[in-house]
Amino acid sequence: MTTRSTARFHVVLPTRSPAPAALPPFVTDVRPALADSAGRAAVAADLSGWAGALVPFDPDGQESLTVAAGVLRRTRHLRVAAEFHPAVATPVYAAKLSASLQRFAAGRLGWRLAVDLDPAVARAQGDFLTGAARLARADEFLTVAKGVWRGGPFDFRGDFYEVVKGGFGAPLSSSPFPEVHLSGTSPEALELSRRHADVHVFSAGDDLAALIPELPGLRHGVHLPSIDAAGEYAALGVTEFFLRTDDVYRLGEHLKERAVDR
Amino acid sequence: MTVDIYWRIHMEGDQPSLRRRVRSRGGFAPGGTAPGARDGQDDGYSHADYMAEVAGAAEESGFVGGLLPNFPHTDDPWAAAATLARETTSYRFMVAFQPGFLHPVQAARMTATLQRATGGRIVYNVISGGGGPAQLWWGDKVEHDDRYARTSEFLDVLKGVWHGSHTHHGRFYRVENAGLPEELAGQPFPEIFLSGSSPAAIDAAGRHADHYLSWLEPFEALAEKFDAVRAHSATPPRFAVRVDLLARESEEEAWAEIEAGWRARPRGSGAQEGDSVGVRRSRAFLADAGDDPRALEVAPNVWGGFSQLRDGPAFGLVGDYHQVAERLDQLLDLGVDAFILAGIPHLEEARRVGRHVLPLLKGRTS
Repeated sequence: MTTRSTARFHVVLPTRSPAPAALPPFVTDVRPALADSAGRAAVAADLSGWAGALVPFDPDGQESLTVAAGVLRRTRHLRVAAEFHPAVATPVYAAKLSASLQRFAAGRLGWRLAVDLDPAVARAQGDFLTGAARLARADEFLTVAKGVWRGGPFDFRGDFYEVVKGGFGAPLSSSPFPEVHLSGTSPEALELSRRHADVHVFSAGDDLAALIPELPGLRHGVHLPSIDAAGEYAALGVTEFFLRTDDVYRLGEHLKERAVDR
Repeated sequence: MTVDIYWRIHMEGDQPSLRRRVRSRGGFAPGGTAPGARDGQDDGYSHADYMAEVAGAAEESGFVGGLLPNFPHTDDPWAAAATLARETTSYRFMVAFQPGFLHPVQAARMTATLQRATGGRIVYNVISGGGGPAQLWWGDKVEHDDRYARTSEFLDVLKGVWHGSHTHHGRFYRVENAGLPEELAGQPFPEIFLSGSSPAAIDAAGRHADHYLSWLEPFEALAEKFDAVRAHSATPPRFAVRVDLLARESEEEAWAEIEAGWRARPRGSGAQEGDSVGVRRSRAFLADAGDDPRALEVAPNVWGGFSQLRDGPAFGLVGDYHQVAERLDQLLDLGVDAFILAGIPHLEEARRVGRHVLPLLKGRTS
């Protein structure tokens, strides 16, 4: 079993809609008003064999959990991670909403937690927390979300959240907790990943050779501008590759062929 | 002005009838359907597939949409609305939520994303919370009357963000230059249904609600409640009532259904803790009925025992199609502008009520 054979590719879905092309006036135009570019890309990815999709947190685009719900409904196999920051909801509510999505989609939802945000973006989202407290809050957020998911009674009193006699009953507690993706290269970010992540996601250019040994037992991912560099990262132990592309179907076919060639 | 008639969607799982209190549709009881088993294997369906059928039935039967309620043990209405958005065409999703769940900026972003996906079919049922242990289950420590102050601030921020760049430093929320991006801007703001029977709730409704939503109560009590809301509102909201129906071709058939359910009901259930004034009001109307369910018929066709036969409020209407339609007409005369109707099972009863009850409505006489 080589590391290459376990490479999984995830498409980063669009969260903004391209303006429709201007058709000449003599062309009959019955285009539907409601386009679903994320849904279309996700179906293409599912049909052509991608492993997963990421709906990024995009302050200038559509909301990721909502988009993820629609995408999960339109696909059969694709694992769909929604990226959001912890100030969007209480951890109990984020877990509750996600428990239903897991039930509706046979456990295919993942969470990408955006812990670091540009401070101006954060304040526009109603989030004024800065510095190390952001990591402390993310830690509590995941502790509470996982705690209530496992069932009750769950009690928690922290610096940010409090729950008394909480915890889901069956069947909400029966689905797997969403796969957790975290990122960052600071010692605190790595510590958060050791505590909570299933996948730690790097950027192209991070010193993976030095960082990956600090995160034993996790899967490792990287965002790449193209698949060309994937082999090099796979050799370092990366198994999850995140790519943004307009050419979802063809790239999926290509990846399948590559897998067969091996 | 036309009357908007909604049909509830069961987020808690559906029962096949009122005769047996088992929520076997939607994965809440073992051995049910959607999800179910086929040849011993999971059949690949989920509760969302059954809810899609109920939404479709409601859509085809004359309902404008459905209320998606939200309790600790139920599936989540935001998740359900986002899942079913593109499988419906005219169905309005009335999403129930508490302001304590989501930040108003996130609520605005989720709503606008859904408005975009549905062509503007999202409606809010804003709940300020039943209080007590359930609030702390949700991780919400804010006290009863403060929760209504928070609801007002939540809606102020949400509207501010919706309509442009908004800065706010309040008691519960802070935002700086918050607004919706171009991708999400320009969508219609959802109609708001606010509930709550306490003075703090009625005060908040007067300021923010398009519709003041109440459970069905004996008609005189409901009329008093509406008067109180009118008295506290500069611009009185419209009124909406949530009504369970058990309607059959004949009155005898309808009551036979109730009696069968009554004999089979689990005893001693239905106790709820918390500081909900609505729950206390409902209990106060009902003496102990003993073995005769008809003892809970507080006025002709107005029956207060539904909470013994399924999850949810106590009062509903029982009778033949004409009687039930007539009571609904009387509610219109009391000033009701919108209904949220429900029946068990939600799928079949949506079609029944759409076919046999809605066509008999005459509308307001006064």
